[in-house]
Amino acid sequence: MIRPGNATALAVAFFFSAAAGAADPNLCAACHGDNGNSSNPAVPSLAQQPAQFIATSLFMFREGNRKDDQMTPMAKPLKNAEMNELAAYFAKQPAAPPRHKSKPESVAAGPDLAKKFNCSQCHGPRLLGQQHIPRLAGQQYEYLRVQLKAFKAQTRADIDGNMTAAIQAVPAQDLETLADYLAGLEAK
Amino acid sequence: MKTTVAVAVAAALALPALAQQTPAPSWQQGKPAALSESTLHPFAPHMTGRSAKDLPVNTLKVPAGFKVEVWADGIPEARSMAMGDKGTLFVSNRNAKNVYAVVSKGGQREVKTVLSGLDAPNGIVFSKGTLYVAERGRITRYDGIESKLDSPGEGKVVVDNLDPQRAAGHFWKYLAMGPDGKLYFNIGAPGNIVLPNYTQATITRVDPAKGVLEVVAMGVRNSVGMDFNPKTKDLWFTNHARDWLGDDSPNDTLHRVAMKSPVPHFGYPFCHQGNTLDPEYGKNRTCAEFAKPAQLLGTHIAPLGMKFYNGKMFPAEYQGNIFIAMHGSWNRTVKQGYNVMRVKIDENGKASKPMPFLTGFLQDEKADPPMWGRPVDILVMRDGSMLVSDDYNGIIYRVSYAAKAGKK
Repeated sequence: MIRPGNATALAVAFFFSAAAGAADPNLCAACHGDNGNSSNPAVPSLAQQPAQFIATSLFMFREGNRKDDQMTPMAKPLKNAEMNELAAYFAKQPAAPPRHKSKPESVAAGPDLAKKFNCSQCHGPRLLGQQHIPRLAGQQYEYLRVQLKAFKAQTRADIDGNMTAAIQAVPAQDLETLADYLAGLEAK
Repeated sequence: MKTTVAVAVAAALALPALAQQTPAPSWQQGKPAALSESTLHPFAPHMTGRSAKDLPVNTLKVPAGFKVEVWADGIPEARSMAMGDKGTLFVSNRNAKNVYAVVSKGGQREVKTVLSGLDAPNGIVFSKGTLYVAERGRITRYDGIESKLDSPGEGKVVVDNLDPQRAAGHFWKYLAMGPDGKLYFNIGAPGNIVLPNYTQATITRVDPAKGVLEVVAMGVRNSVGMDFNPKTKDLWFTNHARDWLGDDSPNDTLHRVAMKSPVPHFGYPFCHQGNTLDPEYGKNRTCAEFAKPAQLLGTHIAPLGMKFYNGKMFPAEYQGNIFIAMHGSWNRTVKQGYNVMRVKIDENGKASKPMPFLTGFLQDEKADPPMWGRPVDILVMRDGSMLVSDDYNGIIYRVSYAAKAGKK
């Protein structure tokens, strides 16, 4: 049931046929891009995200721990096993090179900030994510900004609150620098 | 959180150079500069669960004569367990908002959601027809729940306002029913190593009929497992020591509080494991002023649920032992735990060193992650067999004993 292809066309077709299962990755691709590489700065890429992170996010959307007008209804019909299938699929897709061009000053300041504010401790030295922790390198710029601000405002929570706790220490200006730096970072 | 802001503001006003020194996140507090490059990070459960058939469950080991098998899977983040009078197994979690029940239907075990919309419902206990649930900030009761699993209704509040500031750190609660009919639970410290307020870092109890809190023990960083000695009625509980003092210090601990004891202080944040002063908070203190733990359990081993074994199935050697689920910690370069251990209690109430009982979850002590499963809570079934929950996979295992198999 998992197959690559012209994702957008298939996803559109889904709305008319309802023949595909709720766990068809092509349905996700309508917003998240072909193979989960988003081309919309506000929509996150799923490609090369850790499987446990994707499955946990879907679970949190379905259970209401995390809320989003688009994602909440998408996650509603999914069973846990289907979430695991989707997660395994997108985790295997390679991340496309980022389209975002970071400012030179962000590129210069980014690595030290990522260390200082503990980003690399959990997200890994190359910020590729691991286990339940997402890949930040090359993630979409607007999405990163919105999520970081939401963690800081405590309108978004993570499992165990570690991200919520970590972001409280980050001043607004450094948060902007980090988002700009991370979005332009190659995922390798 | 209020405290954090106040401290930051005060620092900025007092000394401009300090304005850049923002407080560390709760799990990072107390991390020394020498460990700033450390890549140790907390683990998290697979919330969507993993199927037992995809896991190396056949590598689990128990002593000769014992058998371990998968009892149920598909229970998101299976944490605490409570058995109803009619055989319903209630299972909690701390990251979802539900309480699940495992019921038998036509010889098959079925998992169903019985409560939803809760806030970190980690603590559950069943007593006299009522299920009590400890959420982050309150304890509620569901009377007669087993006869209305499909529509249990809203819980009645036993006590609330337990976490008025929504403090960071150890906000989830374990819940146990005392022989005195009172509910016992932890209020954890709001960070790794911080000065707690008067309600935090305690074991506290509440009479469900009155809703008035009484502190039972102080200086307890975070306990997520407790039980009562069926013979002496003493309270025993497990406690997690602070992080970031290295691989081999301090020990997680097992504690005993006699039923009519004055309120002991076990040392946090000043003194750890009864004999180790905290490098920061212990500077002007001595460990002599604090109560001692009953046993050291290992460093970063993360003892969670614990139960006295009083069942009829296990051999005499195991009677009266305390079984402890070691969740296994993240804050150690060489990992340990991820097993169930047992502690023997002698006639004088002294606890032995922990001995392994159920092992095999730990695969590679230096890998990330090092394990494929993490034991959380223990429940002794009516037939004397033992259930062990695993939140990492959403699985419950059953350990049983057959005398014949033991004679090999």
